[in-house]
Amino acid sequence: METQSYTPVPPGVGMEENFLSLDDILLSQERLPCQTETCFLRLGFVEKSSETPDIAEGTKMELPLWLAKGLYERKRRVLSVELPKVYRDGWRTVFGADPNVVDLHKMGPYYYGLGSQLLHFENPENSEIAQTVLRTFIGRFRRTMDSSQNVLNEDTSVLVERLDCLEKALFRAGQSGLNSFQCWEMGRASHLTASSLVLNYRKRKIAEVQE
Amino acid sequence: MDPSEVEFVAEKEMVTVIPNFSLDRIYLIGSATCRTNVPHMYRSADGYLCVQGDLGPFNPGLPVNVPVWLALNLKQRQKCRIVPPEWMDVEKLEEIREQERKEDMFTPMPSPHYMELTKLLLNHASDNIPRADEIRTLVKDIWDTRVAKLRLSADSFVTQQEAHAKLDNLTLMEINTSRMFLLESLNCMYKLRTNLQHHGGTAKGQEY
Repeated sequence: METQSYTPVPPGVGMEENFLSLDDILLSQERLPCQTETCFLRLGFVEKSSETPDIAEGTKMELPLWLAKGLYERKRRVLSVELPKVYRDGWRTVFGADPNVVDLHKMGPYYYGLGSQLLHFENPENSEIAQTVLRTFIGRFRRTMDSSQNVLNEDTSVLVERLDCLEKALFRAGQSGLNSFQCWEMGRASHLTASSLVLNYRKRKIAEVQE
Repeated sequence: MDPSEVEFVAEKEMVTVIPNFSLDRIYLIGSATCRTNVPHMYRSADGYLCVQGDLGPFNPGLPVNVPVWLALNLKQRQKCRIVPPEWMDVEKLEEIREQERKEDMFTPMPSPHYMELTKLLLNHASDNIPRADEIRTLVKDIWDTRVAKLRLSADSFVTQQEAHAKLDNLTLMEINTSRMFLLESLNCMYKLRTNLQHHGGTAKGQEY
């Protein structure tokens, strides 16, 4: 069994993010195209391409998700968020046709996470986005399952490179189940091996110290 | 769960051995929740009142039922000969394999721990079991067929977004191999589905 020096917090898939999850923290760094609805006084220096001291109304900017979520408020109309390319109608048709062809890692490694977070911003296409995200997951499930359960001791990088981060976590779970079964079947489970924690500390063995 | 833990649970199954030593009845702690057909207390054929944890008496040359963990221990100390269970036979396993391949559902297995018992008995007592290699191959074929069926049913479960599924006659080892993957993907699917509920149909307030 693999032991880790801490218990990693899993990402909150869906509309809630887990505060302590590293995957969610990295997800919130993804940029969204936004348009300001009011004037941001004396913040012109933040945006490098503007010469005015204020950010005028209607400027298009790319803001990270954490900033957009914080500033977004329906009543005060501070910000309006547009959909990134991958979630728009054109790409939605592609996903509907065949989700397996798409390289989800290139399309933003957090396709499912970002798709769920976009639902926070009131947008008329939200229900279609939610449907597409769900259908893409279901469509790609078979391939992820087959590839994770059938590969043994081979280089998995070709299979993994087209997967989104969520699917990569599932792939690893499948692989670990398979590997521990194979290890048991070959009798290696009863061999004592050094724990990964101890190896990570890089304790010097006695023979090395004495030399 | 670790496969080694599943193997530990499997070692509670009973198997017949022929000892080469003699020993009186030994009294171990028995469990009333044992999955054998024997009731907790019963009267044996020679008239003794037996409790489930009791083993023996051991007489050389006479077969006796013991749990697998004890059988392996005795075998390693060369104190017994293990009699293979009646299902561990080439013709029987071939029949089971053919039936498994024909059916879409899972067929009942001769033992709920067939995989673990095969591995344990064939590793430690292959000299007592005739045609051990063929048996190993047959059991592996049966395993592969069942795991493939499990994956198919998991795939149809996810694709049709069912709420629950019922699978009969699965053994613990098969469940254990696919547990982590299936649970995680079903969790993800559930969370993506609750997104739909917030924004799919009528606009609902936030649910807590």
